[in-house]
Amino acid sequence: MTDIPTPASQTTQSEKRKGYWATVARDGQKMGFWFILPTMLLLLFIVVFPLLMQLYLSVTWWTPLEGIPWYRAWEVFSWGENYWFLLTDPRLWGALWRTVVIMGIAVPIQFFLGMALAYLFVDKFPGRKIFYSIMLTPMMVVPAVVGLMFFLLFQGTGPVNDHLGLPADFSWLTDVNRAMISVIIADIWQWTPLMFLILLAGMLGVPSDQLLAARLLGGSNWQNFLKIVLPRMKTVIIIALVLRAVECFKIFDLIFIMTKGGPGVQTETISLFLYKQTFGELEWAYVAAIGLTILFVLSVIAAKGLSYMAKKNG
Amino acid sequence: MSSIQINNVTKRFGDFTAVEDMCLDIEEGEFVALLGPSGCGKTTTMNMIAGLEDVTEGSILFDGQDLSGTKIQDRNIGFVFQNYAIFTHLSVYKNLSYGLEVKKVDKAEIDRRVKAMADRMSISHRLDQPASSLSVNEMQKLAIGRSAIVEPRIFLLDEPLSNLDAGFRAYMRAELKVLQHEFGQTMIYVTHDQIEAMSLADKIAIIDQGKLMQYGSPLEIYNNPANRFVANFVGSPRMNLIDGELREERGTLRLMVHGGAEIPLSGQVRSEFSSDTKVHSGSFGIRPQDIYFGARRAEDDIEMHGTVEVLERVGPKRLVYLQVLETMFLAIDDQDQLNVGDEVPFYMPPAKSLAFDLASGRRLGG
Ligand SMILES: Nc1ncnc2c1ncn2[C@@H]1O[C@H](COP(=O)(O)OP(=O)(O)OP(=O)(O)O)[C@@H](O)[C@H]1O
Ligand SMILES: [Mg+2]
Repeated sequence: MTDIPTPASQTTQSEKRKGYWATVARDGQKMGFWFILPTMLLLLFIVVFPLLMQLYLSVTWWTPLEGIPWYRAWEVFSWGENYWFLLTDPRLWGALWRTVVIMGIAVPIQFFLGMALAYLFVDKFPGRKIFYSIMLTPMMVVPAVVGLMFFLLFQGTGPVNDHLGLPADFSWLTDVNRAMISVIIADIWQWTPLMFLILLAGMLGVPSDQLLAARLLGGSNWQNFLKIVLPRMKTVIIIALVLRAVECFKIFDLIFIMTKGGPGVQTETISLFLYKQTFGELEWAYVAAIGLTILFVLSVIAAKGLSYMAKKNG
Repeated sequence: MSSIQINNVTKRFGDFTAVEDMCLDIEEGEFVALLGPSGCGKTTTMNMIAGLEDVTEGSILFDGQDLSGTKIQDRNIGFVFQNYAIFTHLSVYKNLSYGLEVKKVDKAEIDRRVKAMADRMSISHRLDQPASSLSVNEMQKLAIGRSAIVEPRIFLLDEPLSNLDAGFRAYMRAELKVLQHEFGQTMIYVTHDQIEAMSLADKIAIIDQGKLMQYGSPLEIYNNPANRFVANFVGSPRMNLIDGELREERGTLRLMVHGGAEIPLSGQVRSEFSSDTKVHSGSFGIRPQDIYFGARRAEDDIEMHGTVEVLERVGPKRLVYLQVLETMFLAIDDQDQLNVGDEVPFYMPPAKSLAFDLASGRRLGG
């Protein structure tokens, strides 16, 4: 009975500990403190300071056009105007919506293609290694180069139209809907291999004797896939989807080169929008507000997701 | 239930021949053990029967019917894997019901059969738990139950007992025999444990390096080994196998062993050795329990003298290691009269001795 720690005994223990440190501090042995100080300072400069500066600027009207240094930005103090504005900015919400649309179409397609390819590649077949290497090349190409490639492919007089027998004025990248399709195709082309790679690794981790046992019990390939392979790949699937979704949310290079977000703002994603606000409109304070808001929202989502997963696994 | 005919089956992996010209006839409802040392091709043979591996040459017939064109799923073959291959992400119940669920059996029927099988295998109290939480012994039962529940035409078991502790192993051995009677299925059982094979099987197929060495009932194999390999492999303690040169001297045929020992051959074993005049070096075999001490019991029993090197107690008997020059004979002393260091005569009845051609391993005469 005496061994069960009561709140009271806990406090006395922590007090004891405090007492210990107090003695250490009195003795002037602040070794630990000096050891972590450099790291703390470094963190302060690379994380905390920029964040604080961003927070400060986001509540002003400061732009380079004001002609005043950043520390005097308080002279054009805006209170929460930037935050209010971003809630009602149709262009921001449009960009967000388009980002989600690209994500919502490209990632599932990548997932299904990747899964199908992985299923083909779990079994050995002649030339598997060569095909495997070829399959993986797209994801090793620099995204900007992929952008350029598809920019050229989708030209009115380019190979795509040529092959499909479409006229030169059948435009892809300057058409309201087809621009979006082109961008999504390019993203799928580049990132299906990554999906494939992760899912293949997961699929190879499914014990082959269990699959054999399932087949001998009379399960069709499809039944065994649903009941044995998929459940065993759950973790890998979640990782693959999250990884791709996060990456896709940040999509920039491809679109920047293929369409510059056009026609109009038809393919403008969050990243492109931020880029244009920063270097086109020079709305630096506004961008700071958006950046902080995104950071805040993502942190909340991530924290929720992590605690959910921890609860499920624990 | 069905009979199985394995006709001249050969399996090659590239240049390597894992199974060579194998012929086995297994009758309906028979319990056959494939016995052989590690790597001899037992699992490969099983896999070919189950259809997990294609045969390179030859054919395998079930009730006279070739299933090589039939999908694994439709062959209805029960297979218990060497490591059980339990679906560890599913519950025990779901493991048992898998084979029925995929065949879209009625829910109530599934429930009834799963419960009956769990009862039979005495894992009822575990039904709702994840299969990964089972002990090895329970996994074993689950693996057998999972296959048995779909009532397969044949039952293949690949070393199902090799991972179990000794006590449970003995229990499971008895249990398997009971199960086989209950299910009535043709069973093929892989093992490298001869005691298991001897106690369970109606027939034993002994395999070495991919070749069938002998196929017959346990007694037949024990009493009448077809070649030196089988003689050496079956029986515990092992048969004495003494290799040497055959030499005819002053009217007696002797086996001259390296190191100087000589076995004067007489009676039946002598005529067996001399049945093939082309054989010049042979192997003389006798089981330890057939060697006796004390008074000579028959006129033509082979007499030899040896020194007792080691005495080893095994239950009520003692194993005797007899040194004859550089050759060691293993015998059994059930009289408790020998002491280490004794120089004693011992006798070997020719009718219980076996003759083998050393070069080919073939049994001579017999
Ligand atoms: N897929 C394969 N490719 C190449 N060689 C193989 C393959 N499968 C088995 N072998 C070889 O065939 C031989 C027989 O293997 P098998 O698994 O049938 O032996 P086993 O009698 O079951 O042995 P154990 O008692 O160790 O299980 C072994 O030498 C093995 O290395
Ligand atoms: Mg094996």
